[in-house]
Amino acid sequence: MQAPAGIAALQAALAAEQAAVYGYGVAGAHLGGASQVTAWQYWTEHRDARDTLAAMITARGATPVAALAYYDLPFPVTGAATGEALAAHLEDGVTAAYLGVVAVNDANLRTFGAQAMQASAGRAAHWRGSTVAFPGLPVS
Amino acid sequence: MPRRRLLIASVPLVLLSTGCRSADLFAGPDPLGGRPPLAHDTVVLQDAIAAELDLISRYKSAISTSSEPILPALLAQHQQHLAQLKARLIVPAGAQQTASPAASPAASPSASSAPAPAAHPVDGLRDAELASAASLTARLVSVQPSLAQLFASIAASDASHANALGGS
Repeated sequence: MQAPAGIAALQAALAAEQAAVYGYGVAGAHLGGASQVTAWQYWTEHRDARDTLAAMITARGATPVAALAYYDLPFPVTGAATGEALAAHLEDGVTAAYLGVVAVNDANLRTFGAQAMQASAGRAAHWRGSTVAFPGLPVS
Repeated sequence: MPRRRLLIASVPLVLLSTGCRSADLFAGPDPLGGRPPLAHDTVVLQDAIAAELDLISRYKSAISTSSEPILPALLAQHQQHLAQLKARLIVPAGAQQTASPAASPAASPSASSAPAPAAHPVDGLRDAELASAASLTARLVSVQPSLAQLFASIAASDASHANALGGS
């Protein structure tokens, strides 16, 4: 039986959200003050997004991918600067994953993916301290 | 009789014997039917270009009256958006033109529904960024996937601009 449209894209977005939930736990532990408060707020948003995606996948008759027990970090996180850099990196990954959802031929999924990209691009800009012209797209 | 002449002379006979009309032999657009309409994606893309031009115009106006240091960087990103949108625009020769985006940005639906200028230029830009993100999100549902992804990326950029300008 053919999988409903968008399952693969939703699974990829779910995997990215699971990685973000894990990574924010690491980043948040190295942040303090207002930055840590923001990190926990964003962590909660990623947990909510993870649960939403899992429910969407289940509703389409598929089994959500399981989170990994451990994720390789792109670089060592040793303090606030690398913690914020990790958070920005995680948001970039989430944005790129939702870009795949936008390519699905389903209007509701496209809108959902686009709105999720706007949220993650905003969070990435917060950590990076600047915006980018094309969030989620390969840097040209 | 040369072979070529024999072939040419036999064409009407073939048409008569098979009952074909000349139109049945050509599956492409009717060359006498006037200019073809623009493809849907092309029309949507032209509207997006018009809206981007409108945003750029707003930024240039704001920069002329405000010393906010962030504005030139955001303007530069909008100019990158415009370049990518224009790179996707292919209008076939002879196609019916809609309103020229470069000539009349205010003629586009998005521009006409854009927020009215605010008392403070940055407030107006923030509202315009949010309106642009919403407009692109609405447009991306009906276009080809690759164009939808470009619209989604630009919408995400616009939304982050609104945050950077003080919105949330």
